[in-house]
Amino acid sequence: MTAEQKEEKKEEFIQFRYPRQVTYHHALGYQSKFANGLKQCKILATKCPVCGRCTIPPRIVCPFHHVKQTEWVDQGQRGRLISAFKINFPMFNSRTGELQNWENPIIAVELEGGARMDGWCAETDPEKLKTGMLMEAVWRPEEERRGRADDILYWKPVEE
Amino acid sequence: MAERIAIVGVGQTHHKSKRADVTTAELIAEAVERCLEDAGMQMKDIDHLVGGSFEVADGYHCPDKWIIPELGAVGKSGLEMQNVGTTGGVVAVAGFNLAATGLFDAVLCFAWQKMDEAAGAFGRGGGGANEYWTGQFPMSPITNFARRTYAYMDRSGCTEEHIAMVRVKQDQCAMKNPYAQLRLGLTVEKVMQDVLLAWPIRRLHMCPTTAGAAAFIVCPEAKAKKVTNKPLWVEDWFTCHQGGALTMAEDPTASTLRYACDVVYKRCGITNPKKEIQAWEVYEPASPAELRWIEEVGICEDYTAWKLFEQGKVGIDKEIPFNPSGGVTATNPIGATPVVRLVEAALQVRGDAGEHQVPGTINRALATGYGGQGENVIMLLRKSL
Repeated sequence: MTAEQKEEKKEEFIQFRYPRQVTYHHALGYQSKFANGLKQCKILATKCPVCGRCTIPPRIVCPFHHVKQTEWVDQGQRGRLISAFKINFPMFNSRTGELQNWENPIIAVELEGGARMDGWCAETDPEKLKTGMLMEAVWRPEEERRGRADDILYWKPVEE
Repeated sequence: MAERIAIVGVGQTHHKSKRADVTTAELIAEAVERCLEDAGMQMKDIDHLVGGSFEVADGYHCPDKWIIPELGAVGKSGLEMQNVGTTGGVVAVAGFNLAATGLFDAVLCFAWQKMDEAAGAFGRGGGGANEYWTGQFPMSPITNFARRTYAYMDRSGCTEEHIAMVRVKQDQCAMKNPYAQLRLGLTVEKVMQDVLLAWPIRRLHMCPTTAGAAAFIVCPEAKAKKVTNKPLWVEDWFTCHQGGALTMAEDPTASTLRYACDVVYKRCGITNPKKEIQAWEVYEPASPAELRWIEEVGICEDYTAWKLFEQGKVGIDKEIPFNPSGGVTATNPIGATPVVRLVEAALQVRGDAGEHQVPGTINRALATGYGGQGENVIMLLRKSL
């Protein structure tokens, strides 16, 4: 049978449903220090001894210079807005099924320590967000912090 | 010393949103059979296979274990490759590398994706840079390109209308390609009124989910010349990983396309890509990506590509024949998409693209694969060396 004939064949074709649930336990390794920092309201970044770049999420080795990053730098609680975008529909994590926070814009912030990171923004009207705005981290209460991104509930604009 | 290598046959499926009538292996077989027929070869002539898909979007793990037998290739040497959107690109590069060793006479490369079997599973491709961190944010190809496009518009002066013009151009090309999935007859107004996903990305701006496969056969020079009197030379290839080395928080425009092209252009002595490459099949997961990619491959200055669309200079029979097949916004069997680009580029160089054939002699065509947050694979084809 040629490929063309195969595409045209008429038959009641069956699909079988195959739901599967697997819970993975991925090791965080060197990044554990960063996750533990979040639980204590600290934002820690690794610093490259060659280029001085601070990175979040942290890495054991600088991707550009192939040297071990042994220095950790506390990035402070404030930063400048670099970019923002807003999603217009509910988004689920398609691996875990969790509804993710899509109602607050996602922003990127350059922290006082120089690292750049993603977060959510308290201001939900993206029109009111301007590049260079000073932002401050607002944390979840201690009992809710798990060493995850949403330990920082959102970043709120602060007056200068 | 590496062997010179050539593609001697190509094949692809008619790409569709749903193919409940075939298994994944049967879908791949459609592309493989067309490819063997195109090359005038049989499976017995093949001595190595390389296949791949974005496994998460398929739900099959180690699919080569059951697919290679189903293709009638039991006992042959084979490899499976995997790299999200660039899967087809690394399949091709692995095939090129193997053929260039001279250890194999004919390497059959194939890639596929049957996205109708796991709706939405592909959406998490963007989390791959750092599963712990980026996986926690509602990020996906949609938001990646919202972010890229916002930065592009901010820096260039490009408007939403220009992005809609890009989408209309892509559709006009796809309308002439019988293998393309979405052929919609779009207008700028229609695109502008479409559902907004994450400003400025509308549904029509994003690549669709597709069930499709594509394949090609690559041989070292001596074998290629025995198989065909029209070997299609693979002049150069390069795969460049970025994988979030620069996160999008650090640079929303992070991409390796320019870097990868520069490497290949330098090795091939290309100084004026716009003139020296006559057809382009560059993987654009969202319509506005085409603007930045036109600049990064060296066709025009940074942040000016939108003007080319305003001036109507991009299209099958225009000054810049960019993605004459309709591109990825028309057809996206994700793991196979870079091989679709390669197949389409091959058809252009051979002059076999039919209604979407770029006029004039195509001496060189460039195909790419894109994936994750900025990986690129470059594949440069040439009519004669």
